[in-house]
Amino acid sequence: MWQALKRTADRLLDSVNRSLQRPQRRFPTAARVPSASRVPYGPLRRVLVTDGVAHTLFEEYASHRSAARGEEETGWVLLGLRDTEEAVVLATLPAGAEADSGVAHVRFNSEAQALAYRVVRQRDRRLTIVGVVHTHPGSLRHPSDGDYNGDSGWVAGLRGGEGVFGIGTADGPDASASLFAQQPRPNVQCLGDLRFSWYALGGGESDYRPLQLELTIGPDLARPLHPLWPTLEAHAKRIDRLYRQLTGVRFEAMCDEGGPGLMLTLPLADGGEAVCVLVRQKEVRYRVVRGGEPLAVDVNDDYVDRGVYQLLAELAGREDG
Amino acid sequence: MDFRPLNDLERRQLINALRGNAESDRAILMNRRDTGFAGAADEVPEEEVINAIRSVPCHY
Repeated sequence: MWQALKRTADRLLDSVNRSLQRPQRRFPTAARVPSASRVPYGPLRRVLVTDGVAHTLFEEYASHRSAARGEEETGWVLLGLRDTEEAVVLATLPAGAEADSGVAHVRFNSEAQALAYRVVRQRDRRLTIVGVVHTHPGSLRHPSDGDYNGDSGWVAGLRGGEGVFGIGTADGPDASASLFAQQPRPNVQCLGDLRFSWYALGGGESDYRPLQLELTIGPDLARPLHPLWPTLEAHAKRIDRLYRQLTGVRFEAMCDEGGPGLMLTLPLADGGEAVCVLVRQKEVRYRVVRGGEPLAVDVNDDYVDRGVYQLLAELAGREDG
Repeated sequence: MDFRPLNDLERRQLINALRGNAESDRAILMNRRDTGFAGAADEVPEEEVINAIRSVPCHY
């Protein structure tokens, strides 16, 4: 009897030990299981810029220089795709009229840029920030020491831990030969007297390195938003708050006889119904779409988020009635 | 018609893709030829980019 008891205890002990040694079954989570399509990032070897983006950079730089604040620095955030050894630039987000800028610095108006990113992301959810272009009023074609102090830490938050940096200067080789752009060096593109010089910087690197530039055919996905940038700057905080609080908000850049505007569509609970808000710099118009028919609504509120919630409250009250 | 159980890697990828679709509205890709599972779109989280945009340093 003693031996039988001992055998039973041994079996129980063995069972407990095996149970403890067995690999724990864990339900995989998104954080632990890598995506099959995750890109193994290496050092950037080139930046591929669409012709749409190149047009934007040269045209808006020329326009900036001829404007009242033309002596000040300006710039653009670059959106695109980060591949293994290259970045593809597909969209530009301008610094904005409310950027903090002078002859020796520029800090972008990031509120409008963040909202613009949300709009552009509707087209392609792979879009990320790949870098920044900014201008120097003089002839310094390389990022400054001050640029390095900020960029060297900032790139750690980018895909691949590396960023693309463009420097715009107005010291191109020949202002008269502006029929087409030239590329005197692999990392330099000139059109007339305007020049963009391209660099890459990775976390931990002691300096920027020249980055080969190549052009391809493609859009600037954010260009339709540029004419309504004053609208984005005026309403960005409230629209962004609305976007984060409500589900399914869609954006569309549009232009009619009243000028450029941003159309927000907020789906209602009943299928096919929606609240549509046309936002312009100094005007906000509200519509309710029912059965495919837009109904004008008289909401006198230029604060777009407050106007939407007033309208939703009114609609909810009518449902109860 | 070929029926076969998914191997361990395929099963984990499919579960991951379904989870991403349900929680983050992330697209599930389909093989055009045989309608098989072809992974999930390599989307970048929105707030990751928003944070990077808002933290762009001052340039000089």
